[in-house]
Amino acid sequence: MGKVTKFGDDGEEVTMKETPTSHQPEAHDDVSMADAGEEGEEGEEEFEEETSKVRLLPGSTPTAASFEFLEENHTLGNALRYVIMKNPDVEFCAYAIPHPSEAKMNVRIQTYEGTTAVEALRKGLRDIQDLCDVVSEKFLEARQEFTEKKAAASA
Amino acid sequence: MSSREQYQVPNAQGFTTGASNNDGNSGSSSIMWYTCGDCAVRVPLEKGAPIRCQKCGARVLYKERTKRMVQFEAR
Amino acid sequence: MGSSKKQTSVPVRTKVPSPEEVEKRNTVHINAETVTNVTSTDFPGFYPGEDHAWDIEKFRQSVRVQFHQNDPYEAQFSLIGVDASIANAFRRIMIADIPTLAIEDIFMWNNTSVIQDEVLGHRLGLIPFTGGKEGLHNFLKWYKKGETPCDYNTVELELKVKCENNENAPADSKDPKELYHNAHVYAKDIKFVPKGRQAKYFSGENAIRPTNPDILVAKMRPGQEIDLTMHMHKGVGSDHAKFSPVATASYRLMPTITILEPILGRDAEKFQKCFPEGVIGLEKVTKEEAKKKGSGYEGHEGELKAVVLDAMRDTVSRECLRHDEFKNKVKLGRRRDHFIYLVESTGQWESDAIFLESIAHLKEKAKRFEKMVVNMVQ
Repeated sequence: MGKVTKFGDDGEEVTMKETPTSHQPEAHDDVSMADAGEEGEEGEEEFEEETSKVRLLPGSTPTAASFEFLEENHTLGNALRYVIMKNPDVEFCAYAIPHPSEAKMNVRIQTYEGTTAVEALRKGLRDIQDLCDVVSEKFLEARQEFTEKKAAASA
Repeated sequence: MSSREQYQVPNAQGFTTGASNNDGNSGSSSIMWYTCGDCAVRVPLEKGAPIRCQKCGARVLYKERTKRMVQFEAR
Repeated sequence: MGSSKKQTSVPVRTKVPSPEEVEKRNTVHINAETVTNVTSTDFPGFYPGEDHAWDIEKFRQSVRVQFHQNDPYEAQFSLIGVDASIANAFRRIMIADIPTLAIEDIFMWNNTSVIQDEVLGHRLGLIPFTGGKEGLHNFLKWYKKGETPCDYNTVELELKVKCENNENAPADSKDPKELYHNAHVYAKDIKFVPKGRQAKYFSGENAIRPTNPDILVAKMRPGQEIDLTMHMHKGVGSDHAKFSPVATASYRLMPTITILEPILGRDAEKFQKCFPEGVIGLEKVTKEEAKKKGSGYEGHEGELKAVVLDAMRDTVSRECLRHDEFKNKVKLGRRRDHFIYLVESTGQWESDAIFLESIAHLKEKAKRFEKMVVNMVQ
């Protein structure tokens, strides 16, 4: 139960950053734009350590656990639920958005003996990546075929 | 009605401080510029002058837009 | 992984459903007043003895994409063989998570037009812009709140118009556009002000410009003027709709129309009129069909019969289910795993690229979370 949660202490700051800028920001009343430093300070964002947006909710056992995803919604929730349910080692999987005005999404996973809920979640995330590769591949193939067919028809 | 809530005519001192740093459309500090609602001509008004366009006599005058930049979010 | 640890009695899942059974499971029934059989059941354990475990190779074989239209700003294609949760994820990502550049800050120096400052600001924000793809997608970066606007995170635009009387207007004219200059302010009046390296990425035909130059922004009369500077930033549709790269990104399920019993003669013509054009065709009953016993065509040689030409064009209005003469003769449905997407771009991406980007986005998201899950348990 007393699992270590990585965010939480600065969890609030994460949401603050993403909130839409309020009306009439303190901002720059100076309209002039800097013409960028020679090297440009861009690219530094890549090195920022990402704060974890997923945590194990208290009350979990190895084979039955709930996970809380921050700033996620039905987009990932439902897709993840689907692939996890496709796993034969999983007895139960569901997702919920406990409150619509909180940007949080919970996933509940219960597995059979022999594997863990965390492993099932990890496999689900991996399966989504594989799925995306295949869909992308098929999409590009179909597009290629379509352009060729069209070119042949107009020629 | 209690006298406290009644309209107080601004006294001379209070007024000049407010109008002294206006945009300086004219030399006189107590002149404010308005736009005639009828003929769109710019009308100078002094304190206490009748609210009336000097050109066409219309009694609807508009305040001029601020000369300052206003910032908005396109939302 | 860990297969030795698995349950001692792994259920044998070798049963394969018949093609008819698969089709039945894959059809959503559209009835006169209800829609039934809507949930997908392709999960392990739902059908005893059948294997529905996730298998990437099986998926590779079953998933298909068909293109119907592929114009820069409008694409239509079918994604077949995926679950609704996946198809919906792509649709949602296209609408809300793909970044575009839009007007965000407005510095209004003067606006004496009748349209209020904040309304004008809002209108300007909603104008879709386009420009060089390389610059838009790779060179331009996110703008963090409070950061100094720089050439790599901010694009500056300017709108400076003044309405004046047109001396050369025809004497009898009553059209404000003839009587005055700049009576109408259009999106094309917005000028791009390149800064720093932007000149390299956004010059000539790559300039930042409104996708639709003829959007009416404001109307003015002589003496009025609008003078403002704008800053564009990158953003996503979940923050504000102006950042959405699509006008619409939607899908519908492939309709199915099954004619169970022959519909002939005048009924056939009436049946055809129950559907949009091109969905139902009329064909003559052939000699062979008329000869066949029990086909329902006996003695109807040469008569017209209704046939399904193109179910995809159907809007599934269910009109045919309202007429008694077609009762039990037709079955409407939709294919559960056949998604017909329609993606209309607003100009910053090409429609097909938006879909590809949504796939990449979902993958990236899963990848990021996989890392976090690994870190979580350590």
